[in-house]
Amino acid sequence: MRLSDSPYVDVFAYGMFIAAILLLPLVMDDPFWLNRIAKYLVFGMLGVAIALSWGYAGILNLGQGLFFGIGAYMVAMSLKLQSYTSLQQGSDKPVPDFMLWNAEPGAPTDLCCIVPGSWIWQPFQAQWFGMVMSVVVPVVISYILATAIFRLRVSGVYVAIITLALVLLARLLLIDAQPLTNGFNGLTDLGWLTVAGIEFDPYLTATYYIIAVSLSVVLVLARLLISTRAGLILQSTRDDPKRSRFLGFDVATYQVFFFTVSAAIAGFAGMLYVIAAEFASPSFMDLTFSISMVVWAAVGGRSSLLGACIGAILINTIEASASETELLQESWRAVIGLIFVLVVLYLPRGLAGIGQETVDWIGRKAGISGRSRSGRVTNPSAAE
Amino acid sequence: MANPALIIDGLSVDFGGFKAVDGFSTVIDDGELRVVLGPNGAGKTTMMDLITGNTRSTGGTVTMYGKDITNHAEHEIARAGLGRKFQIPSVFRDLTVFENFEVAVTKQQGVFGNLRFGLRASEKEKLDQIIELTQTSDVIDKRAGDLSHGQMQWLELGMLIAQDSRVILLDEPTAGMTQGETYRTSQIIKALKGQHTIIVVEHDMAFVREIAEKITVMHLGKMLAEGRMDVIENDPKVQDAYLGSGGIH
Ligand SMILES: Nc1ncnc2c1ncn2[C@@H]1O[C@H](COP(=O)(O)OP(=O)(O)O)[C@@H](O)[C@H]1O
Ligand SMILES: [Mg+2]
Repeated sequence: MRLSDSPYVDVFAYGMFIAAILLLPLVMDDPFWLNRIAKYLVFGMLGVAIALSWGYAGILNLGQGLFFGIGAYMVAMSLKLQSYTSLQQGSDKPVPDFMLWNAEPGAPTDLCCIVPGSWIWQPFQAQWFGMVMSVVVPVVISYILATAIFRLRVSGVYVAIITLALVLLARLLLIDAQPLTNGFNGLTDLGWLTVAGIEFDPYLTATYYIIAVSLSVVLVLARLLISTRAGLILQSTRDDPKRSRFLGFDVATYQVFFFTVSAAIAGFAGMLYVIAAEFASPSFMDLTFSISMVVWAAVGGRSSLLGACIGAILINTIEASASETELLQESWRAVIGLIFVLVVLYLPRGLAGIGQETVDWIGRKAGISGRSRSGRVTNPSAAE
Repeated sequence: MANPALIIDGLSVDFGGFKAVDGFSTVIDDGELRVVLGPNGAGKTTMMDLITGNTRSTGGTVTMYGKDITNHAEHEIARAGLGRKFQIPSVFRDLTVFENFEVAVTKQQGVFGNLRFGLRASEKEKLDQIIELTQTSDVIDKRAGDLSHGQMQWLELGMLIAQDSRVILLDEPTAGMTQGETYRTSQIIKALKGQHTIIVVEHDMAFVREIAEKITVMHLGKMLAEGRMDVIENDPKVQDAYLGSGGIH
């Protein structure tokens, strides 16, 4: 039995990672870098979402940016209304500045009717509403989408194509609705997240902690989720959906459930990103961004939630450092493309695979073997 | 139980003009072990596909313990109490042998009922017996995809036992097995007899003699003959059907 299969190794790895991100502010006191890392932790959360759907459910979603983007816009709408500029538009109620620029002459300066459809913004005056919608809207949309896709037994590359087309469509609609969404420019000049009277300046260590703790919780919950019986059944549907059906499982319900969980995580990540980055933009729904997420997860290891998470953080950190050198800045995309191809060809389990091999090597050297899921002690020579 | 396990009545499928199964009927009693014989291409696998909902029939009905299951969804038929082994072993290759059993032994079918950890005591007890019966304890933590062909067949059989269906369909469970492996498989199937109603498609005559009670012979999608081994072997229709393929061995 391989040591890396032991649940204790996982507990150790997750524990180390969580400790590292929680202790980071002690050694990194540059608020600029801390804020940067906070954003990369959000990308790490996207890695978790991708690994969950791609690695565990076998569903390659090339449109995860849709849910990230929706999550981002929902909270950004609230924070926009909380912004100082929104109170400077000549009304006693907040109105986003760009709506005034887009309004017909003589339109009342009020969210009810300044531009057609602007009433949609009204409930977002409550910050909690935007935050809740960041997760609720992705959940509702992904549930409807997944039900349609998986009831029809669409699978494999067709799912990738449908999700990809959808994110592009959503991006177009978003840009097209300029008077409501500020189109191409996105939502900028946002206020800060305010909880119980405390304002979370993105450069505060406290803001970093909101994100680091959120990531830790998501990581642990997702890890627990896949070790439930339902998580195991999900993996069975990935390996052989026909066999799962003949065992009596309605494969589509499992796919819908986990696709929706993955979308919820992406929406939550979108919300956190806005808190750290102070903007929401249609670029979140760019094809390149959704594909980048898949690359991060592939490099980190799509069949490991932690691996995919670390892959995302690592690639983004290296990218940020690389962009400080002009030569690398130019060639960075090519480098990432090359790494992706190499990983797909030679390291299907990504960085997580290297980690597991190393642990197994140590296990063999030290003569330690894990306790398996079966809880049985097997003859090591037969088991290997 | 007065109801027969399965009533197959006039079952047919039309693949664009070609009738792979053509008005096939038979009644299988509760607790029976039925062997289905027939030359290659006779429609045996297709018949199982029709019963289990893998292929939609174009005519006829299938009734299991009094409940109509004709053309129901695969998972509904499975839940109604029907399990199936495929001709090409079908297991979850990236899961370990134990995890394969774990999935199969799950009684609760929905997502939310399965948001739980570990094994119930009843599940553990059952899996211990199955691991014993299928002699998989040495490979229990191995990836199913890394098993030998014979081991994979036993794993799939074990999964069927774990699933604990009242009716079990086995499509060539000894295909590609050595003599020793075939014998062990017949022992496993014998152990299932009595607790389950079993329909098994098989070519290996030594194996058929070992386990058979009543035999159904299929030919060109139709039922050709039905009865005990000795009756079947001496039936001229059966001998004719097998002429092309070298007779019953
Ligand atoms: N989906 C299909 N479409 C067309 N023909 C099929 C299909 N499935 C099976 N057949 C044909 O039906 C016949 C019966 O096949 P099968 O049931 O596999 O035979 P057996 O299992 O008895 O060897 C074969 O001639 C096969 O080519
Ligand atoms: Mg066949």
